Amino acid sequence: MKRALILIVTATLILLTTASTVMLSQSKPKYDQPVLITSAGQSADVTIAGTLFKKANVQAKALPLAKAADLEGIKTLVVVAGFSSKGLGAAGISREQELTRVQSILQAAKEKKLKIMMLHIGGKARRGNQSDDFNKMAAEVSSYLLVVKQGDEDQFFSKIAGEKKIAIDLVDKIVDAVQPVAKAFAK
Amino acid sequence: MERHHIIAFSLLAIVVVVCTLAGREFLRMHEPDEIIPGPGVTSTVSLSTYFGALAGTSSDANVYVLDSGRQGATALVLGGTHPNEPAGFMTAVVLTEHVTVQTGRLIVIPQVCSSGFTCTDPLEGYPQSFSVQSRTKLRSFRFGARGSNPITEWPDPLVFLQYPSGQQLSGNEVRNLNRSYPGRPDGTVTERVAYAVMRLIEREKVDIAFDLHEAAPEIPIINAIVTHEKGKDAAASALFTLESENLQYALEMSPPNFHGLSHREWGDRSPVFPYLMETSNPIQGRLRGVTNEELVVKGIDQKYYEAAQIGSMRITYDLAGEPLARRVGRHLRGLQALLGAYMEAMPEKGIVVEGIPAYEEIVARGLGEYLH
Repeated sequence: MKRALILIVTATLILLTTASTVMLSQSKPKYDQPVLITSAGQSADVTIAGTLFKKANVQAKALPLAKAADLEGIKTLVVVAGFSSKGLGAAGISREQELTRVQSILQAAKEKKLKIMMLHIGGKARRGNQSDDFNKMAAEVSSYLLVVKQGDEDQFFSKIAGEKKIAIDLVDKIVDAVQPVAKAFAK
Repeated sequence: MERHHIIAFSLLAIVVVVCTLAGREFLRMHEPDEIIPGPGVTSTVSLSTYFGALAGTSSDANVYVLDSGRQGATALVLGGTHPNEPAGFMTAVVLTEHVTVQTGRLIVIPQVCSSGFTCTDPLEGYPQSFSVQSRTKLRSFRFGARGSNPITEWPDPLVFLQYPSGQQLSGNEVRNLNRSYPGRPDGTVTERVAYAVMRLIEREKVDIAFDLHEAAPEIPIINAIVTHEKGKDAAASALFTLESENLQYALEMSPPNFHGLSHREWGDRSPVFPYLMETSNPIQGRLRGVTNEELVVKGIDQKYYEAAQIGSMRITYDLAGEPLARRVGRHLRGLQALLGAYMEAMPEKGIVVEGIPAYEEIVARGLGEYLH
């Protein structure tokens, strides 16, 4: 009787582990090229994301100020979230104009049924009131969130992922994001 | 003489003594810091070499040249653009005293805004100097003001019209070297210093340049590299290198419409790849408590620790604080990573600097270990 019970518990555990692994891997979508990388908040993290994609051997065009028209022929939109006042200055636009632009490109991507991936690689420096509007906006419409842990110490992204059932990977460093990106675009 | 006359004269005498002592103490800030050229320094010139009008003024500055004699890139490092940001100029001092150059050339100006080292900012309670124990002696360095000494170009205008952009800034920014580029030969003292730096960049054909700063821990642009658009790929590459060593930096773009800044004007007006780096310095912050020499060197402040505990800080701030050695270590490692990334981008332009202390090394052994 005792042996049977142990067998049942072990079998259940194995089944549950396998099922959760399968579910987890199913929840991470595969992405296709061509890829367009844009910013949400105009931080220079979009430049770093460009280097990251190069390291992952994924061809991508980075346009920090991309508009809906730039989505022509694109299969995946990567949004690099995080606010920078210097970046907005460099772009010559206000925060409100940037919010409108991001809203509009995300809407266009949804209408075109493009896959959207969000990167948050700036850690604490890209969190806080100014950044979080952009972070939330981009995270909620994405099918995959790739976040450097320091930016999720308060589970901001994990909570969104949980509530909206979005796949999320937390990595220790930006350089650790190379492999998940390569994997997401692997054929 | 009546009693009240005696009292009045006595009080007057006390005031004269106090003013004399305080004045002497304040005038000591005009005595230059001792910077001892290390084995890598091949020549020392003055900033006035590039613009003669600075000669003999408190705005002239020493320029240390470390020339390998082998053809390669020329790098320029400015410390002391803001003399109240000690990690900037102490990094330049370490380079001057400790490193050698194997390929290319390194030009270092540790205290570029030299008149700003002759005073402190009013109402801040800043110490006039701080000390670092080197291997052989106690070295003292001045802690200056953010801008040039007001006595050199008093009074500040109500509104500063940046030249030549015409951009309007608050009046006291007229003495801020990092709002004064490209400068002009007949301008204010600060504009003349900026003009001399531009002439140096031009005459020495500088390829890559660094302007080293610090900022309050609560502001967003700390532990950051600010880059002109032409240097952004090299900066991103350097950032990867630094991050793999657990040194996190934010990358910030230089706004093209914010004029007078080194990373903007150097980049727009010369072939140079300009970078500005910021570390986090509690003595510049508004939350700080006791403001003294210890805060400059140890960077430990209880109020910042409390702010970090309640999640108000964007950087990690623990009880170890932000010591000067760590801030200098970050600047040195950042500079080294950017030089590496520059060489990757421009393989025909080599610059090899030897003897830059590793970040962990300078944090563990202290800043004094790398000073004469």
